[in-house]
Amino acid sequence: MRTSYTRDDTERLFRQLRASSDPELRAALAELHMPLVEYLAKRFKDRGEPLDDLVQVGSVGLLKAIDRFDLGRGVQFSTYATPTIVGELKRYFRDKGWAVRVPRRLQELSLRLNKVVAQLTQDLGRSPTVAEIAKYAGVSEEEVLEALESGQAYSTTSLDAPTGGDDDDSPMRVDRIGEEDLRLDNLEYFASLAPLIEQLPERERTILYLRFFRGMTQSKIAEHVGISQMHVSRLLTRILEFLREGMEGDAEF
Amino acid sequence: MDTVTVRVPPKADHLALLRTAVGWMAGRDDFTIDQVDDLKMAVEEAAVQLLRHGGSSDITLDMLATRTGVEARLHARVDSADPVIDETSFSWLILKALADDLEVDADADIATIVLRKTRMDLHNGDDVAVGDAG
Repeated sequence: MRTSYTRDDTERLFRQLRASSDPELRAALAELHMPLVEYLAKRFKDRGEPLDDLVQVGSVGLLKAIDRFDLGRGVQFSTYATPTIVGELKRYFRDKGWAVRVPRRLQELSLRLNKVVAQLTQDLGRSPTVAEIAKYAGVSEEEVLEALESGQAYSTTSLDAPTGGDDDDSPMRVDRIGEEDLRLDNLEYFASLAPLIEQLPERERTILYLRFFRGMTQSKIAEHVGISQMHVSRLLTRILEFLREGMEGDAEF
Repeated sequence: MDTVTVRVPPKADHLALLRTAVGWMAGRDDFTIDQVDDLKMAVEEAAVQLLRHGGSSDITLDMLATRTGVEARLHARVDSADPVIDETSFSWLILKALADDLEVDADADIATIVLRKTRMDLHNGDDVAVGDAG
């Protein structure tokens, strides 16, 4: 018979697990937090997938969170695990092709406009307007708007990917901005946010800081970090989404 | 000055429509794409907060183009008189960074978040604030 635990045992179980790597303890922790997985999985139940399948997908996220959780951070495990579980569920839908399908024509236009935006930003010394982009690219304003929107949709790299293995297209120049990153200490004010931000890859953290604490425009950030404006835009949107998921977990658990 | 209104049921899946709508509006109205993105993110953030505090009521977004910029007014029926966005929250910080002007009002059981963005002076020297009143 397995001993029965309550969620109050979470911290003790983690200590024991880190000391012994006993799979029984890992299983006990997973079982304790299945209600969290079930709760989060239910939020995706309107998308036509059986809840059981979603719970199973979510539990993969839970196990990842159990393996990565660091007790020393002084944050509730549920707060830490929520974005990881939600990330796993979202990836599942994306991989199944449930995410917005972007027609090839728009993908190509989006890639082309990326370059046009960079060129115009340089020429004008500021971010261009939709009308300027349309004129330069020889397409309608509607097409520009549509392509910008689709640029948002079709990048599906997960924020959840382990830190370090950066799979994106441009060189990182974080070495130059390391000292700014340190000033993320500002975020201590938002206590429950800090552990979530720690989960972000370094470049995302830098972008978050530059936009919201330094008030830098997306174009400036793009220049600073060495990626396109559209890429910065996508990352910011995803960062906010990630933080919201995490904060929601914080409020409810 | 036209007001365009979009109203969605209180489900997270519909918030993307509000985001797209404001992007469309500002994008056609000589905002730079940096500003368009700021507005889209701000509207989404505001809508998320209304969703969290409301629950069962539709979320309405009124977008008003003015001579100087755009005003996005989001409102929804809420359950409590507590402010939908606390001034010490991260959400507030985000909205302050994204919008040029932010107002959060609670009137009886309707919470309203107003975001204003001023059109950028595209050609140095031109004053966009001066012109016919339309």
